[in-house]
Amino acid sequence: MNKRIFLAWTLSVMLGAFLLSGCANTAAGNAGSADTAAEAAAEKTERAKANEAVVGIAQDFDSLDPHHMTAAGTKEILFNIYEGLMKPNAAGEIVPAVASECEKSEDGKTYTFTLRDGVTFHNGEAVTAEDVVYSINRRRDGKDTAAQLEALSVIDEVQGEGNTVTITLKEASNEFLAHVMNAYIIPADYAELETKPVGTGPFKFVSRAVQDEMVLERFDEYWGEAPGLSKVTFKILENAEGLILGLQSGALDLVAHLSSDQIVQLEEGDFEIEEGSMNLVQALYLNNAVKPFDDVRVRQALSYAIDKQAVIDLAFDGYGIPLGTSMFPSFEKYYDASLTDYYPHDVEKAKELLAEAGYPDGFSMSITVPSNYTPHVNTATVLVEQLKEAGITATVEPVDWGTWLEEVYGNRQFESTITGLTSDNMTARKLLERFGSEVGNNFTNYNNADYDAILAEALQETDDAKQTELYKALEKNLTENAANVYLQDMADLVAVRKGLSGLTFYPIYVLDVSALHWAE
Amino acid sequence: MKYIFKRIGLLLITMILVSFLTFLAFEIVSGDPVRNMLGTDASPAQIEALRQELGLDKPFLSRYVSWLLGFFSGDLGRSFSYKQPVWELISSKLVITLALSLISFALIILVSIPLGVFSYQWVGGPLDGVRTAFNQLCMAVPPFFTGILLSWTFGVILKVFTPGDFPGFAKDPGGSFVHLFFAAICLSIPRIAMTVRMMRSTIVDEMNKAYVRTAISRGNNRWSVLTRHVLKNSLVLVVTFLGQTLAELVAASIVVEQVLGIPGLGRFLVASISHRDYPVVQAIVVILAFWVVLAGTISDIVNRRIDPRLRLGGEDE
Repeated sequence: MNKRIFLAWTLSVMLGAFLLSGCANTAAGNAGSADTAAEAAAEKTERAKANEAVVGIAQDFDSLDPHHMTAAGTKEILFNIYEGLMKPNAAGEIVPAVASECEKSEDGKTYTFTLRDGVTFHNGEAVTAEDVVYSINRRRDGKDTAAQLEALSVIDEVQGEGNTVTITLKEASNEFLAHVMNAYIIPADYAELETKPVGTGPFKFVSRAVQDEMVLERFDEYWGEAPGLSKVTFKILENAEGLILGLQSGALDLVAHLSSDQIVQLEEGDFEIEEGSMNLVQALYLNNAVKPFDDVRVRQALSYAIDKQAVIDLAFDGYGIPLGTSMFPSFEKYYDASLTDYYPHDVEKAKELLAEAGYPDGFSMSITVPSNYTPHVNTATVLVEQLKEAGITATVEPVDWGTWLEEVYGNRQFESTITGLTSDNMTARKLLERFGSEVGNNFTNYNNADYDAILAEALQETDDAKQTELYKALEKNLTENAANVYLQDMADLVAVRKGLSGLTFYPIYVLDVSALHWAE
Repeated sequence: MKYIFKRIGLLLITMILVSFLTFLAFEIVSGDPVRNMLGTDASPAQIEALRQELGLDKPFLSRYVSWLLGFFSGDLGRSFSYKQPVWELISSKLVITLALSLISFALIILVSIPLGVFSYQWVGGPLDGVRTAFNQLCMAVPPFFTGILLSWTFGVILKVFTPGDFPGFAKDPGGSFVHLFFAAICLSIPRIAMTVRMMRSTIVDEMNKAYVRTAISRGNNRWSVLTRHVLKNSLVLVVTFLGQTLAELVAASIVVEQVLGIPGLGRFLVASISHRDYPVVQAIVVILAFWVVLAGTISDIVNRRIDPRLRLGGEDE
């Protein structure tokens, strides 16, 4: 019995000791990490001193191979590693990069590129004409199916000799330079792009941990202006709260694409909020092939029923530029501002049109939204209320991104959806061609004979001014026929830690970190 | 011996069943890894070519069988998205999530068992209502919310750790531990509350039993009866519950990993599901199944130690 009592006591004492040691551990942990806390505080200045920065991003990279990447979020960041013969600048012009000069023949069918002197890859090897020919061919010769770029099929032949590369086209194309930008230059026959990317850009790849981070370092032999930072880490934090906490705790120095309710959580003293635009066309995209959206009057009624400014005010705290067609203001040359208010908010008019179309009591519709894009989900919620006023009962159907891609974008099985369409190559064509009735990615099933005719003409046109007019005619056609309910070009809100400057916005979706630098 | 064979058999059956169901689930839900990889501009020819390259054009059963054969020969396959062997991708994340689960589990045991015993002392007392209310609150609070709260207090204000910057075990084991410790607190609070409530009610039940009355009427004091007999008897249920908790922790860590920026298995699982990266999902799900069966086995063995009836009355003997 005594033994038992002894045992029981030992047990209780042990339990108590466990408890205490648990507390002691916590205390020790706290004491120990008080140092790490001081370190963390010091690290902030330390990072500025070391000329480094950490950028928070919301998703991992889909591929590090520049010819295989498709996600906008990947292209956005790898812009800092890879370059084409030409590249875009912040003003929206296409400027020479790996090439120093580009000459176009009289008939517009032959482009002669002179390679820039002294351009080297991140692995130290000089860029040769052979590398350029390889890179361009990889995107068009069919050996690597996933790397094929439809737009480069216009190329007939690529020849390299010495420091010149000559590209012959099957037919003249105004947009060729915009497409050749996407043939990022990589070393010939280099097979390790996925794990050890090598390009010619201002930053070189150091390391990557899947679903965690990617580290880049300044490329000292860069041909252009040297980047301001010596090291940039891209930290992946897919959770919105996680990103904000990361900024507040000092783990991150810059986060782009924040929502208006995220930025209010940041203290003004620590961060600058910079506002650009996302350069996309956010709209309620309608499946023009299903009832009742096959009736132009119904589509127009929807356009009248919706108040874009109210959407921007309610779901985006007023940040965003209202749009009236498939074009956004940073493509200045092609943008037609007069189309924005083509359908003023007018519920009575909407009801009249609905009655005319045979729906005096309205109808029911579904709005399919990719649930991982909160801005689109919020927009849908506001639209449901606005449509209710016109007698239309809309329901929001959230689906995950994979389902959206397959069902909505691929199989066109939807009534309406909210998304943002972009142009990743600075051409109006990318935004407008997709509404041609025979085009493969026309997921809205827009089918308009006039549109098809103008589109065919525009694609054939070699005179830039005339082509621009035709593109504007296409935009007008989309607006007049209310192909979709156009909403806005969403604002791009970027939080930047005080002291870090040099952020530049581009008319396409890229985050250029080369001009970033800490103040003295 | 027989017991071990039975458990291993159970493990194999569970893993095969779970992997099959996962495979089947992906077959049924919409979403296509190929379309995901090629994006919105892909041509039908590109989609077809990549589908063949990944072997996705083969019928469902033959794909599953070849995965299963690969699995039993130690090959988890290659990730679609990352084009790297799955094992290389998940091994470092597995270590982090395992560490997080074990720290949380240790916290749960060290806090809830003593607390459960003490809370029995309060039964019917003036503070019992307060305790119950507090317990309810702790059970209801989602780890995600505690995560934000703790990150804010200890990360942003007190700077004890840096949310969003998990240093990694190789670089800074101490800092990594502190980071995981806070995540573990978030994970364990609701489970501690549940365990405490469970302990309290089983002790109350047990204390009303005849043998306790007898023991007390023979002159033993309540406390010694509690620690000597009752605790042991009430532990069986609690250990079973803790076994389930151990199994659940890995899954529960997903949100906490996201909020505190810990590069663990849970986050990777969620991302891989949305990319339809089957080989990765398949591997993680099988690991989780293994973990669940293992946790069940451990709690079973512990219970057999505590309660001899389970050893004697079991069908194995």
